[in-house]
Amino acid sequence: MIHNYQFNFQELDISKNEISELLGFNGEEMPEPFGSYLEEACQDAARLCDIRGAVYISENIEFISNNSAFTIDGQFFDAGKLISRQLKKATSLALFICTAGEGISKKSQALLHGDDPAKGYVYDVLGSITVETAMDKIQRQLREELSATGEKLTNRYSPGYCDWSVAHQHKLFSFFPENHCGISVNSSALMHPIKSVSGVIGIGKEVKFNKYHCEMCTSETCIYRNLRSRAEKIF
Amino acid sequence: MSELLSKLAECIEFGKINMASPYPPQMKGQEGADEITRKALDEGVNPQDILSKGLMPGMERIGIKFRENKVFVPQVLMSAKAMSTAMLHLKPHFLSGAAKQKGTFIIGTVLGDLHDIGKNLVGMMVEGNGYKVIDLGTDVSSDKFIAALKENPNAVIGLSALLTTTMVNMEKITREIKEALPGTLVTIGGAPVNNDFCMKIGADNYSPDPQGVVEFLNTKIA
Ligand code: B12
Repeated sequence: MIHNYQFNFQELDISKNEISELLGFNGEEMPEPFGSYLEEACQDAARLCDIRGAVYISENIEFISNNSAFTIDGQFFDAGKLISRQLKKATSLALFICTAGEGISKKSQALLHGDDPAKGYVYDVLGSITVETAMDKIQRQLREELSATGEKLTNRYSPGYCDWSVAHQHKLFSFFPENHCGISVNSSALMHPIKSVSGVIGIGKEVKFNKYHCEMCTSETCIYRNLRSRAEKIF
Repeated sequence: MSELLSKLAECIEFGKINMASPYPPQMKGQEGADEITRKALDEGVNPQDILSKGLMPGMERIGIKFRENKVFVPQVLMSAKAMSTAMLHLKPHFLSGAAKQKGTFIIGTVLGDLHDIGKNLVGMMVEGNGYKVIDLGTDVSSDKFIAALKENPNAVIGLSALLTTTMVNMEKITREIKEALPGTLVTIGGAPVNNDFCMKIGADNYSPDPQGVVEFLNTKIA
């Protein structure tokens, strides 16, 4: 069954500190004009964003190949050891897709190529945070819905991370109707709108949410690496 | 004159666009790249010197700070904006031949990929270091690169990709460019790209950051 979600920008309640941190202003106060740019972008985001997500949950799952892969409804996902092992105690798996919509990227691009690239970048980062925060909210809602049954959630894992090939996007999207939530995937596995994410979450009484899941990844350049606050928000 | 030029370099390094711009806080109320470039031209400073002794050193300094993680994307974009504001004044002098850029760099995000910002940053940084930059945008095919090369012989090509699935298109594009115009230099970059991949596909250079491309171009062209 597919669960659908839709949010407006305000209800995501995105913290300005988090945006400022992702822009690279670590802890310090954001200098002008960035403070005003961010105000403007947040005001504008309410109009520009079309925030939608969907989750497909299946109990018809199996862990195979020494727990380095799994199947959902018979479809094979070679997600690699690192991710599959985090999921292996799950009794059902949730595939998700989520987007902040096209409007915010369009606006960002117009500014980036026009006369205010720095403002364009603020919109860009806001678009990225919007989609991630929407997924945090979907995950929190799912967790609340499941809490009555005693079931818990793992972190979310995406194609393109930890040995799970981005090329598997097509398989993941085959579980949703075409253009669901307004998201499409091109032949190179790129999602459109750009500010979109996809992945899987494990569900079960025995699964664990890993607060420090950044530590299992080897990326040295990831801008999310030090944002521990993310995990704390969901948990 | 040297004082004006070093002031100009400082405006570029710290992203001071013009007098009205509040950024950076420590230069509030001071003249920016806009006014100082105008003043330098009015005082008869050679446009070539404005470019190579004012603008370029500033851009180089911000490029190095970015590489060393001392500043982040927003600061670089402010510097780039200060640079492009100054360049507007210099444009007529490029057209008349009174000032010359070092060479031409054609950049694009490869076929299948729509990521933009990394590529833009590289383009801005290369331009700020004295090259003419032609940005072909995103989702660019071999044909478009080759057509642009034919219009700009001896230009160096820069390819950007942000996903492993689009990174593979770099191989075909590099091969087709080199078949059509042998001797063309191709430099590649983007989050999933590394030096091994660069060697494997026969590209000429990989850099993790924009300053690396500038250094590559400086050794090959300038
Ligand atoms: C923010 C972000 C997002 C945001 C926004 C995406 C966007 N483009 O707007 C969101 C959350 C939406 C997102 C989604 C996804 N993302 Co993402 N994302 C990132 C992140 C953290 C930062 C990207 C960024 O904006 N960087 C800032 C710019 C300035 O940097 P840059 O583009 O890399 O450019 C610099 C250099 O690479 C270099 N450079 C770039 N081009 C060139 C060219 C030349 C010639 C040279 C020399 C240098 C050079 O210079 C630039 C300046 O320093 C990166 C990780 C990272 N740290 O890079 C992952 C990353 C790009 N994402 C990744 C993935 C997998 C995804 C998803 C597929 C995950 C999923 N299944 O949901 C989706 C795909 C989205 C889609 N539309 O299809 C992977 C891609 C690698 C891979 N496995 O293919 C990365 C690398 C993370 C990882 N796993 O390590 N993502």
